[in-house]
Amino acid sequence: MDGKNANPTILNASDLPTRRQAQRKKVTSPLTSGLVPAYARDPFVGNKDTDFSNSDESEDDSVREPIDEQEIYDLIATISDPEHPLTLGELAVVNLQHIKVTDDRSAIISNVLVELTPTINHCSLATVIGLGVRVRLEQALPPRFRLDVRIREGTHATGEQVNKQLNDKERVASALENETLMGVVGKMLETCK
Amino acid sequence: MRLQKVTSLPPQAERVWQVAIHPTLPLVATASSDKTVRVISLRTYSSLSTIEGGHKRSIRSVAWKPGLTGESVLCTGSFDATIGIWRRYEHDLDVGNSQEGDEEEEEWRFALVLDGHESEVKSVAWSAGGNFLATCSRDKTVWIWEEIDEDNFETLEVMQEHTQDVKCVTWHPEEVLLASSSYDNTIRLYREGSEDWVCCSLLEGHIATVWTVEFEKPASPGYREEWGSRLASCSDDLSIKVWTRITRSGSAAEAKRAPPSILRGELIEENWIETSTLPRVHTRAIYNVSWSSKSGRIVSCGGDGRIVVYEEISTVDSEVVEGDERKPPKAEWKVVVELEGAHGVFEVNCVQWSKRWDKDAKGESDEVIVSCGDDGVVSVWELANS
Repeated sequence: MDGKNANPTILNASDLPTRRQAQRKKVTSPLTSGLVPAYARDPFVGNKDTDFSNSDESEDDSVREPIDEQEIYDLIATISDPEHPLTLGELAVVNLQHIKVTDDRSAIISNVLVELTPTINHCSLATVIGLGVRVRLEQALPPRFRLDVRIREGTHATGEQVNKQLNDKERVASALENETLMGVVGKMLETCK
Repeated sequence: MRLQKVTSLPPQAERVWQVAIHPTLPLVATASSDKTVRVISLRTYSSLSTIEGGHKRSIRSVAWKPGLTGESVLCTGSFDATIGIWRRYEHDLDVGNSQEGDEEEEEWRFALVLDGHESEVKSVAWSAGGNFLATCSRDKTVWIWEEIDEDNFETLEVMQEHTQDVKCVTWHPEEVLLASSSYDNTIRLYREGSEDWVCCSLLEGHIATVWTVEFEKPASPGYREEWGSRLASCSDDLSIKVWTRITRSGSAAEAKRAPPSILRGELIEENWIETSTLPRVHTRAIYNVSWSSKSGRIVSCGGDGRIVVYEEISTVDSEVVEGDERKPPKAEWKVVVELEGAHGVFEVNCVQWSKRWDKDAKGESDEVIVSCGDDGVVSVWELANS
């Protein structure tokens, strides 16, 4: 009734698909161990899942790095659920097969579609979760990406209303200026690596 | 034809939501998330002043008060739920090529704040004569204000006809007729009744948020006297529609044909129908349309980063008769030019036609398009024959 699922299905964190393991090995290579000065580092190593904002300005076709579904998944699966001490990946709110990336090198604009599966179909926090996913991706992805964050069809009682809000530019921009809401989102993103 | 960039101004710190062209002077004002308004010369394309300090959150909308001489008045609407009124004396503004300096920056005076909306103000608009100010908000209401003395505004009406956020308000260029568009997918029109302001028409047809509505100006070449007013609207449903007024109570033609109505409400009712849907080009939400009074062309922009210009295909003047009702012909439009990536990879939030004022202007009828985007940049474009 209160939109809280007391007993959600939980996936084992070690069973979730990720590319993180492989990348961590790369990050601990001698290149980044501190023996080599920062300017000598390969700029394409290490910035993949850490911080895109630095590369935003220099973005053009020559340095454009393709982004795939797994990468999007790794960015958002580690977001915490606002009401469970678990991540969106563990709760299967975020699923690799429900992410679609169109990142065509010849097009100016790329698209990411993320479909969320709420743990229960009247989850009162669906909008906040969706906003968290949006904020995470907006911060991490280069500006060529257009995001569509939607509730998977048939998984939420008011899915269409939630979708309309989540994809209204003005409402999202305004939500980002709302300190209370951003406090909640900030907590959700604390677990993102 | 192609769209050729005349210039781009250095970016503001954050997204620019809107550009507003001064009704008579070579000026454009911006509304930005960085909480400032920048005033730019359309003669030299240099920034003249930055207005700041009045709003706590993003400035979403800005509008020049028409009908003034010797002074400029700006109205700003902000996500902080307030509306600001700003004043500045215009002494020989065009002389001396925009000497930027502190004195100039000081000249804009914050006159007053209009409170009342419960949440984000989305759009502000002055009526053609400048007598009325309309504002709208996420709180679902449209407010009409009247300036009864200088810096003394009175609320004439608060209308809650929409069921969701009101995204845009705009006035008819000649009549006291207001239009609003909403997140509830509809457009509503309002007139001043004998006692209060009333909704006189409901336009349904879009299937998603209607971001902007704009009336055709009577000076436009496509304006048809016999049918009168038209309205363009753009939406999240990726369509741009043109609506035409077919009946209006009180008009001479109407009085002849229809028997006097008994119901008071009907006296003010207007009937608008959809007469065109423009060719679909945009692939993401269409945020803005502007209807040129010089060429009759429509320009649009949106989340896909495109700027598109359309032209009406002149049709044989034949009206459609359905039963008793005369209907205007369905007009076809074609795409004149389409530009991708107008602001690089960023979304384009607003496009406006303006008279061309710079040194390359070819006469009074020459015009440019002013655009702004999420990159914080304001750009100026000309239509060139390719």
